[in-house]
Amino acid sequence: MSHRHKKQSALIKNTLREILRTKSRFIAIFAIIGISVGFFAGLKSATPSMKKTAMDYFDSNNLMDISLLSTVGFDDDDIEELSKLDFVDGVMPGYSSEMIVTRDNIDFVVKLYSLPTKTKTNKKPINDLILKDGRLPKSEDECVIESYFLGMSGYKIGDTITFSPSVGGRETTSIIKGLEYKIVGVVDSPLYLTYLRGNSTIGDGTITFYMFLPNEAFATERYTAVFMRTKASSTIENELSKAYSDMISDEKDFLKSFSTDRVKRFNETTLSDAKQKLSDAEKEYNEKKTEALDKLSSGVKEMKEGENEFYSKIGDAQKALDDGEKELEEGKEQLEQGQKDYLNGIEEGKKKLTEGQTQYDEGVAAYNAAKLEYDIQIEQAEKKLASAKSEFDMQYQIFYSSTKPSADTKLMLLKSAIDVCNSTIDRTEAKLRELKSKSIIGSILESSIKEQEQKLADARKELDEYQKQYDEGTAQLKEGEEKLAEAKKQLEDAQAEFDEKKAEGARKLGEAKSQLDAAAGQLANGRLEYETGISTGLLQLQAAQTKITEGEKKLTEGKQELTDQKHKTMLQLKEGREKLAKGLYEAHVKLDDAEKKINKAKDDLDALDNAKWYVFDRDDNPGYSGLSEDADRVDNVSKVFPIFFLLIAGLVCFTTMARMVEEHRTETGTLKALGYSNMSIAFKYVVYGCTAALLGSVAGGALGVTTLPLIIVDTYGIMYTLPPSELAVHWSSLIISSLAGIGCICIVSLMSCFKDLMLYPATLMRPKAPKPGKRILLEYIKPVWNHMSFTSKVTARNLFRYKARFFMTVVGVAGCTALIVAGFGLRDSTTGIADKQFGNLTIYDQIYSLSTSGTSEEKAYLMSRFHADERFESTLLSYMGWGTIGTDESPTKQTIRFMVGENQKDFEKMFILRDRKTHAPLELSNDGIIVSERVCETYGVKPGETMKVRLEDEDYECKILGMTENYAGILGYMSPEYYESLTGNKLKYNVVFTRIAEDSPDDDRTIANDYMKDDDVITVTSMRDQIDTMMDMMKSLDFIIFVIICCAGLLAIVVLYNLTNINISERVREIATIKVLGFYSLETANFVYREGITLTLIGSLAGLALGNVFTTFIIESIQMDNVMFVKEISFLSYLYAFILTFVFSLVVNFMMYFKMKKISMVESLKSIE
Amino acid sequence: MQKDFVKFENVYKRYKMGEVTITAADGVSFSVDEGEFAVVVGLSGAGKTTVLNILGGIDCCDEGKIIVGGKDISNLNQHDLASYRRYDIGFVFQFYNLIPNLTARENVELATQICRESLDADLALDSVGLSERKNNFPSQLSGGEQQRVSIARALAKKPKLLLCDEPTGALDYNTGKSILKLLQNKCHEDGMTVILITHNSAITPMANRVIRMRSGKVISNVVNPSPLPVEQIEW
Repeated sequence: MSHRHKKQSALIKNTLREILRTKSRFIAIFAIIGISVGFFAGLKSATPSMKKTAMDYFDSNNLMDISLLSTVGFDDDDIEELSKLDFVDGVMPGYSSEMIVTRDNIDFVVKLYSLPTKTKTNKKPINDLILKDGRLPKSEDECVIESYFLGMSGYKIGDTITFSPSVGGRETTSIIKGLEYKIVGVVDSPLYLTYLRGNSTIGDGTITFYMFLPNEAFATERYTAVFMRTKASSTIENELSKAYSDMISDEKDFLKSFSTDRVKRFNETTLSDAKQKLSDAEKEYNEKKTEALDKLSSGVKEMKEGENEFYSKIGDAQKALDDGEKELEEGKEQLEQGQKDYLNGIEEGKKKLTEGQTQYDEGVAAYNAAKLEYDIQIEQAEKKLASAKSEFDMQYQIFYSSTKPSADTKLMLLKSAIDVCNSTIDRTEAKLRELKSKSIIGSILESSIKEQEQKLADARKELDEYQKQYDEGTAQLKEGEEKLAEAKKQLEDAQAEFDEKKAEGARKLGEAKSQLDAAAGQLANGRLEYETGISTGLLQLQAAQTKITEGEKKLTEGKQELTDQKHKTMLQLKEGREKLAKGLYEAHVKLDDAEKKINKAKDDLDALDNAKWYVFDRDDNPGYSGLSEDADRVDNVSKVFPIFFLLIAGLVCFTTMARMVEEHRTETGTLKALGYSNMSIAFKYVVYGCTAALLGSVAGGALGVTTLPLIIVDTYGIMYTLPPSELAVHWSSLIISSLAGIGCICIVSLMSCFKDLMLYPATLMRPKAPKPGKRILLEYIKPVWNHMSFTSKVTARNLFRYKARFFMTVVGVAGCTALIVAGFGLRDSTTGIADKQFGNLTIYDQIYSLSTSGTSEEKAYLMSRFHADERFESTLLSYMGWGTIGTDESPTKQTIRFMVGENQKDFEKMFILRDRKTHAPLELSNDGIIVSERVCETYGVKPGETMKVRLEDEDYECKILGMTENYAGILGYMSPEYYESLTGNKLKYNVVFTRIAEDSPDDDRTIANDYMKDDDVITVTSMRDQIDTMMDMMKSLDFIIFVIICCAGLLAIVVLYNLTNINISERVREIATIKVLGFYSLETANFVYREGITLTLIGSLAGLALGNVFTTFIIESIQMDNVMFVKEISFLSYLYAFILTFVFSLVVNFMMYFKMKKISMVESLKSIE
Repeated sequence: MQKDFVKFENVYKRYKMGEVTITAADGVSFSVDEGEFAVVVGLSGAGKTTVLNILGGIDCCDEGKIIVGGKDISNLNQHDLASYRRYDIGFVFQFYNLIPNLTARENVELATQICRESLDADLALDSVGLSERKNNFPSQLSGGEQQRVSIARALAKKPKLLLCDEPTGALDYNTGKSILKLLQNKCHEDGMTVILITHNSAITPMANRVIRMRSGKVISNVVNPSPLPVEQIEW
């Protein structure tokens, strides 16, 4: 034993000396194992640490396992029954509700809870709060508010929060007692782990913050929420495990069936009582209503009748009065006419009398004048007649005494002259005839003829003259005679006429005289008549006057009576009517009240009728399920990276140990020759390697496990409301990775020395022939080879000479580059999400949520306002609704937001639907939906296939028209036509998307405020806020990326250092030789480094390709369902990775430079040991 | 021919091995004329290799003065020493120290490419009788052939001084002889100053000058006026 012990101790001593002698090699193994183990165990511990932190938080705050909500609330009986259930540890009844708080014109939806309290069953309040500042409420009008919101909103402790008076169509005061609450403290609730606050049915649908009021502040009688702790959390250690969720799911199932019993009981007791009461009340109401209405209607009837009678009587009286009045009026008129006629008659009579007298007088005068004229005319006519008789007599005498005898004498003379002339003419004519018969004699004759003829003519003329005178004289005489006869006759006629006329005149005068006498008689009669007429008319008139005066009097009296009567009756009527109206009104008010009450009771009952309990677990808390996913995401990363590290560590160890064994070849031979067993010799290397690995594991593990989880959890802590992280060492991974490291090095050590141990000692003691040089393929390509510099040739040959090392270096460097690429790639993809999403895809700036109660006219008016507003580039009235999407095979229902734009033209201006790779726009036709690419990726669905969509609580089969490039969130688009044909519902537009014009003078907030004044606009969501939130989220990943890059750098340095170290120590002889040959330090370094640089180049190029694959793999394993990571690594990232790798390589080479400079030519070339 | 081409004056070299100080060169003084074939002979540990290393510029002395070709090299810095090695010195080692990954010619070229005036690699190899195996890798050559390559590499640099450290130590008798012959020929025919160290006193007759060392000291420095051709030496 002691001998053996000694032997071992000598070997141990040897090993210890070896370690001290070859520190750098030892450290290399130590470091690479340390880094690998530390990284692996550290990352692996991050997830459990995160989960432990969270679970401790849940436990210490007594986070509920199951919560119940009910449409009808809960009563003490329910609570009692619940606490009797065997798997229930504690039950805390309470209240929860959603409210709207308006601050700076912006509405916030607030989740309201009652303060967690202790109850019989739970000694500690469930969902206990962490008081960050101030105190808990003590009175009904105080509240505590969450810390997250307090920082954002500007509320302070001591401020008062005011709720809007109505919420979702209900009076706020029907839920809580007051509207104003004073903030007295700041708290965190374990119900909320992230910045997510969940969705709401009111306001814009997103809860902004939560707060707590004391129980007493709530107005409802029945509890609205129940929180429970169950056996699931008390018996199962890991509340994020499947065991827990399985158990919870069983408990939930039980509670669901339990709830049906409770609901049934509720229906039987509370509800049926209420129903009975209601129906009784309804019946009574109806009876009373009928009765009251009957009474009222009869009253109304009577009233009507009385009124009618009154009006008819009044009418008759009025008519009689009117008739009397009319008669009277006529009488008056007649009287007036009579008076007038009477006076006219008198006047006329008088006139007639006067006229008669005048006529008579005129007649007398005319008679007298006529008699006078007649006498004158008779006298004159007698005179004229006498003168005419005397003239005739004178004329008769003249004519017969003078004129007729002278005229007879003259005529005798003329008779003789005419006879003379006749005889002259006869002679002349005879002479002429003679002459003419002698005419042949000549001129004398001629002239004689002429002369004779002249004489004849003269004679004839003279004859005519005489004849004429004679005729005239005869005529005159005759005429005179005639005239005389005529005058005699005229005279006789005048005498006759005169006589006639004289007689006629006398007769006429006589007639006139008799006429005048008659007229005088008439005149006297007329006067008599006239005088009697006057007196009788007067009498008549007086009688009529009397009659009329009497009538008038009577009429006035009647009128007065009527008015009095009417007035009296009217008053009575008015009173009656007023009474009736009052009665009616009162009756109606009463009835209405009763009806309203009954209706409300009915509504309430209806609501109660569909009573249902809802059972929730922790996963339903906003952000809760993300915790596990986020934690597992780190786990996924830790699956990939550390294995990679271990792999490289193995490679490095192998090279290192192989080198070590090779260096100790002679020693091995010596030991063998001395008689040491193979095992004993191998023991040295195994111990050497294992010691390094063990120390490395311990140091690396300790460091990794204590730092990495904290860093990562705290980084995530930015997103989660968690207390400072607690360490949960993932022992199994620490031990496994340590063992893996140690085991690996054992195997590697054994493998390295195995080959040597199989050889004979003599062989071992001979120097190992250097690896022979070989021609490489490149040499046969003469043009290239001959143009290569000398060192290049050497490098090229060396690269292929040590294939194992070549491979290892390339893998190591490639791994390092790949890690850096992955780090930057992750960063690209996360920042890319925000950049691409909000830079290229989400181009709208605001979402205005519209009130659902607004009419279509109001919406149209609002839209016209939007359209007219020049601050907007475009606006789109849309429907936005939440739903879920999934397939038959994958029941995981993913939340999806549907958008339906009112019209295609504006829709295209607002949403970009395009293929990610080609950027080709997608067309939204009327037979399907377009969804985010991520949906198709998650479910493996291709365009053209169908998916199950749940929209407004109905399931539909939808055809997928296409998948659009989208990174943040899951979105679905459909046309209004498709929506309506799919759901059969009329599309209710509820939002307006807007894009603000670039030259808009106002910013989004100002514009939003303008529109918030409109009652139809409920909330305005600004994309700017969303982008900020997104950016914050993504920033937290930056740190992890930084960690990855640091680790990658560390790895690169270790790998490169180790390999270069081996390379140099292996070639120390070569290096010494060339130094002896007179190579300067730099030339020497160049000779060695060229190889390393070439390897780094090849390795990093391979790493770039590998990094691409690696990044994709990592992204696949860490990405979330509702976010599509950008799977594009930017050129810069590749460049950075490449440059960084070279920087690391240079750092290593720089370190090596001094080592190389130190190589002693003397020592190296002494001899071969 | 320059007298005292190489001159050592009171050169000391001490190595510290933990607490023990070993004086490898203990006041070494000697000189070699130009064109001489000098052999430094002594037992193992006599300090001859130390002297050669210091002379060759691959080690430095602690005290004393070394003059080569009129140039003091005892106080040169690293860079100047490298230049000195590059232009003035040719080294031949016991184990050849060829670069295994380079062919015979390339090994020679490795030396020639850094010199201002150098022999053509082919000529150098021809001169050592290796015309046929220029393109062979060291592993494909016998020990003697490798040593010839090594000599060719040293000569190709046209050094002022050829230093040989037990060049036959790893070779069989005949091969060793032929190498010595080659070196002697180079000295006598080309006028190359050769300093060779060996523990084998039997080969001293072929030298112009024999320097004996013991315990870091030069115990004799004798000029051999009539060196024997190698062929006539037996050991």
